[in-house]
This record gives sequence, structure tokens and C-alpha cells, in this order.
Amino acid sequence: MTEIVDFKCLRCGHEFTGPYDKKMPIERSCPKCNSNSVRKIKKPIKK
Amino acid sequence: MMDVGRHPNINLYTYSEVIEVNGYIGNFNVKVRKKARFVDETVCNACGECEKVCPVAVADEFQQGFSSRKAIYMPFPQAVPSVYILNNDDCLGHNPIACGKCADVCEQECIDFDMKDEIIEINVGAVIVATGMDVYDPTEMDEYGYTKHENVITSMEFERLISAGGPTEGHLIRPTDREVPKKIAFIQCVGSRSHSTTGNPYCSNICCMNTIKDSLLIKDHHPETEISVFYIDIRAFGKGFEDLYIRSKNAGVQYIRGLPGEVFEDPKTKNLTLIVEDTVANTVKDYNFDMVVLSVGVIPRRDGGAIQKLLTLSRTEDGFFMESHPKLKPVDAPTGGVFFAGCAEFPKDVKDSVTQASAAVARAEVLLNSDMISIEAITSECFTDLCTSCGICINVCPFNAIRGSDAKTGTPAEVIEALCKGCGTCAAECNFDALSMKHFEDAQIITMIDAMLDENPMDKVTVFACNWCSYAGADLAGLSRLQYPTSQRIIRTMCSGRVDSAFVLHAFEKGAPIVLVSGCHFADCHYIDANRWTQKRVEKLWDKLERLGIRPERLQMEWISAAEGQKWARTMTEIDEMRKNVTKEEVEHTKKVLKEDREKAEAKRAKKQSKKIAPKTNSPGAEISVPA
Repeated sequence: MTEIVDFKCLRCGHEFTGPYDKKMPIERSCPKCNSNSVRKIKKPIKK
Repeated sequence: MMDVGRHPNINLYTYSEVIEVNGYIGNFNVKVRKKARFVDETVCNACGECEKVCPVAVADEFQQGFSSRKAIYMPFPQAVPSVYILNNDDCLGHNPIACGKCADVCEQECIDFDMKDEIIEINVGAVIVATGMDVYDPTEMDEYGYTKHENVITSMEFERLISAGGPTEGHLIRPTDREVPKKIAFIQCVGSRSHSTTGNPYCSNICCMNTIKDSLLIKDHHPETEISVFYIDIRAFGKGFEDLYIRSKNAGVQYIRGLPGEVFEDPKTKNLTLIVEDTVANTVKDYNFDMVVLSVGVIPRRDGGAIQKLLTLSRTEDGFFMESHPKLKPVDAPTGGVFFAGCAEFPKDVKDSVTQASAAVARAEVLLNSDMISIEAITSECFTDLCTSCGICINVCPFNAIRGSDAKTGTPAEVIEALCKGCGTCAAECNFDALSMKHFEDAQIITMIDAMLDENPMDKVTVFACNWCSYAGADLAGLSRLQYPTSQRIIRTMCSGRVDSAFVLHAFEKGAPIVLVSGCHFADCHYIDANRWTQKRVEKLWDKLERLGIRPERLQMEWISAAEGQKWARTMTEIDEMRKNVTKEEVEHTKKVLKEDREKAEAKRAKKQSKKIAPKTNSPGAEISVPA
């Protein structure tokens, strides 16, 4: 199931939100520096 | 099609569905469900008497709903074989028989209400996927009024209207009053080249020329008809296409650069008004037409996922099947022995489809006429004595090349070398070192890491690069004479999927300040989806490093294609800056922590192993068997 989660770029430190699906991994990149070293921050966003 | 139907060496299975494909290159076993058509095709002579008496009328799919068909019908006039078919869903019922009129009038007695689906098994050496495409459904683009205005039709519907075998026998009429339209507009790129929430980002390739062809056809039959084409760009790039475009212009077709913002209908006349910004004249104008044709784009088959699963294929982000290599193997699928023809791979016109089909057949012929085939030397092998039959390797293999592993029976995994393409994901994911990659064994890679970090490790960035994209990207950066720091040391693996977590941890334990794992972009992976496993593994490693008090930032991941030499250079520059910020104390701490963690894990494993081989207490004399 796709959820909206927080991500952190491990290159420039930029934090952003985006969709995440454990079963359907997608190619992610940092919107600021374009790096693919983007790590999901565990805590999901509560709407 | 008639030739195919009559050819002695071609078995044509119509109204059939492939339900299972097993085996591998040169040795596929295919199960086909031949659906019951309730008409004996060996006897039916297509007299059409059954159709005349059938009381059921439903919308004819082939005619885009412009006319009706019966429950027993010929799918389309040129259907091969030329026999009727009874649609079970439309029929009033034949179990028990509710009507049966078709059977009563059939002189050939070919209607069989008891007919059942048949499962056919065939053995083939090669498979050609020519599943075609679907057309874009413009109902979501409400601004063009397709769902509101009857005189707004799609190019596919227009095609049926002007076809001699169509519902109007080729007479061009508009749907509301059945009069010949005096003014027709074509709107291009409907569902194509769209970067908004509706439509697709790619160019559908065929729509421009289809519109030009249609405009000339209208001009041939009705020279007085005014035709306007609203476009973003006219892409007439094929042989003779530009001539056709010029002919169309000379015939009086007006080409206006700009797409309508909205389409309005006059409720009385049902005429249509388009508000368009002409981007050449830089004006906004209203245009009135009798009929509007939406030049709809091409989309991948909606049931493409089923074929993908059957043949373990890969699809691009657009949803079309991905070829093995866009330049060197444009008709080969990543799965050996599978080839593509036509729009299954990407939108293309008839000429390109025939060209690709000919190429696919030639490729298949080469395979079928070989007594022997060469397979990849870089394949996985299983050490059965170490295999615990956990089945992880089966789950991760993108080519279904590993079979047999069964925890219940203790059957170890078996690698089918003809299927294995050598990505090495299984070897990287196996927790028991039971799988190894020939030519890219753990020991070989560990030795490379050791040699690389033997001297001045603080000055080096350890890079794992996949053979096809990242390594080629590095090559391009060099060939392009791009300037970037020389600190990186590259270890090439066939796929980033081969990069075992142990390699990364070993590099850190040997004093690497920064490690980079790089591979192909997701859509470009040469091993279908092997790099998805790389991403998952790196994500787990980030968690582990953090748990051990090591900055996860020191492990970087980047997807770099063979054409992205500049990205390679930029990444290396950025990562080298990160390397400079790693202190010696940090590296020493990492080495210490990882050493402790490894020793703890080794001790745990040894304890587990000793428990396994210890004699049972209730059988003191039992023989101890120690695995080799």
C-alpha cells in the first residue's frame, strides 16, 4: 500500500515527503540535489 | 493474415490465451487455453444464416460501438479463420438452451452448445511477443468534451467511419445528423506528450501521419470540406512522410500550431467551437467546426502485466516491454529466447512493426537453427551442502532461474544455467553463502577491496559500479575528458544487485571513509528488476550503520546511466567533498565497531552450527555427521 512518508537526502541533508510502497520500490531522487541517496525516515506523516 | 492461416508450417490459435509458459531458451513449454467458440470451425462455412436469426443485438466492439452485432457473429470481415463465434456472455443462454435459433438454421450443424475450453500444450524454442497496443481513452480529458458532445469523436472511431467495411460503408457523416461535415478539426497529441495529470509523457509516434493520411482521404472524397489540424509539432520523419505532409498542405488543409483550451457545443446545431491560442500568430481565436476528431495516442496493452509475469519480462515506466538493449538487441527481451515485434515494445507504425517483426523472426530463426547455443559464462552456482532451502534466492531471481528449493523436503536450490543471466542478486541475498557467481565470487571481490584499501584508505572512495550503466558512465566521463577528483576506486560487478552487504561492511572495516553503490536507473536495469534489490539492501545497510553508531551518509547510492558521464563526474566531485569531511577517528571507530559486530555474528553462527551437529541426549551412541 502506498503511503506518504518523509525522506532525507544523505547527500545534501534536504528533507521532503513522497510516496512509498514497500512492495513497489520506485527510483527516488532528492528534489534539491538530484542524488539517489534518499533514505526513508521511519515515522509516517499523520494526516 | 490469409497466408498465415493457410501456411502448412504455421498453427494459428485464434480466440485463445496463453496461460502458462515454462522452460527456457530453446525449450519452452506453453499452455494455451483455446476458448470454446461454440461453433465447429472445421465445419462452419460462414454462410451467416445463424447471425440473421439471432435475436440479440449488442454494440459492435470492432466498429467502436457505431453499429451492432449479434450474439453469434464474425469478429470482423477479414477474420481468419473465416468462421462464426458465439459469445457466451451475450447469448440468451444455452445451458439450458433458451433460444437455439442459430442451431436450428445451421445447415452444416456446426453449432455445439456443449463445447468446452480446451487446454493445448506446445513445445517451442522461441517466443515472439506481438501483443500490440491499446488506444488512449480521452474521457479523462474533459476539456475536449468527448463525453458531452456527440460530434467529438476519436481518431479510431473516425477510422471506422471512413472504412469501406465500417458502419457507414465508408461514407463520411457526423454522428448527430448523419450529414457530411463541412468543417472538420483534428486535435493532435490527445493523451500524448502530456506532462499534466492526464495523458502520457511520450510521443505516440503514429498520430501525426494518421491525421495527415485522414485529411488527404477526406480531401479526395470531399474536396470542399475545410480541415484544420491543431498541433504542438508535426512529426513527419519517415520515408515519404514529409511529401505527404506537403501534399496535405497543398490540398488546403490548414495547420494551426496550438491546442484548444476548451470545446463548446451549440445545443441547436450541435456545431462545435474551439478556443485556441495560435502560438505562431500569437493570437487567441474562436474556430467553428461541424465535427472534431481527437487524435488519440497509443498506450500499452492493459493486460500487459499478465504477459510480463508469464515470460518474466521487464517494462519501462511507460508500461511498454523493455528490450534487452536499445541499440544492440532492440528486438530481444531480457529473457533468452523471447523477442518483440510491434507496439508491444513501443508505439510504431505498420512499416516499423513489419521491420521489427522481420528482425524478430530472423533472431528466432538463428536460435532455432542452432544445434547448440552459447549461454552466459557468468552464472550463479549453488553449493547444495550450504543451502538451507530458505527460498530467498527464488524470490529475488528476476529470471526465475532458480528452482527446487523447498524447506519442507530440504531440497536445495538448483540454478538453471540456461536461464541465469548472471546478475548475482541471489549470491548477494543468500545469508548462507550457498550461492556464488562465477567470475565474481565473494573471495575475488573481497580481495579487490583488500588490495584497494591496503594503502592510504582515507584518500579513497570505494565505488561499486554495474557493468552496463555506471561503469559505462565512468567510461564516458573519461572519454569526454571531464574533470573530477581521482580519489575513486571502482570495483565492477555485472549488476549492482551483486553488491553483497558484506562487501560494503568489509570496505568500511578496512578503513574506507565513503562507499558508493551505483547502478542503472530503474527503467534501464539489464536484469529486469535486480537493482530494486540493491536499493532495498542499501536501505537495510543504512539502518544497520545507524544502529552501530556509524553515519549512514558514508554509504551513498546513485543510479547513473551509460550516457550520464556528467552525472558521474558531478557525483564523484560531491562524494569526494564528503570523503574529506570523514575524520580518522570516525574511521577508526567504524573499524572497531564493525569488527566487534562481525566477531559477534561469527560466534553466534559457530554456536548455531555446533548445536546442529551435537548428538541428541536421548541417543548417546548416535553417530555425529559433520557437514563437509
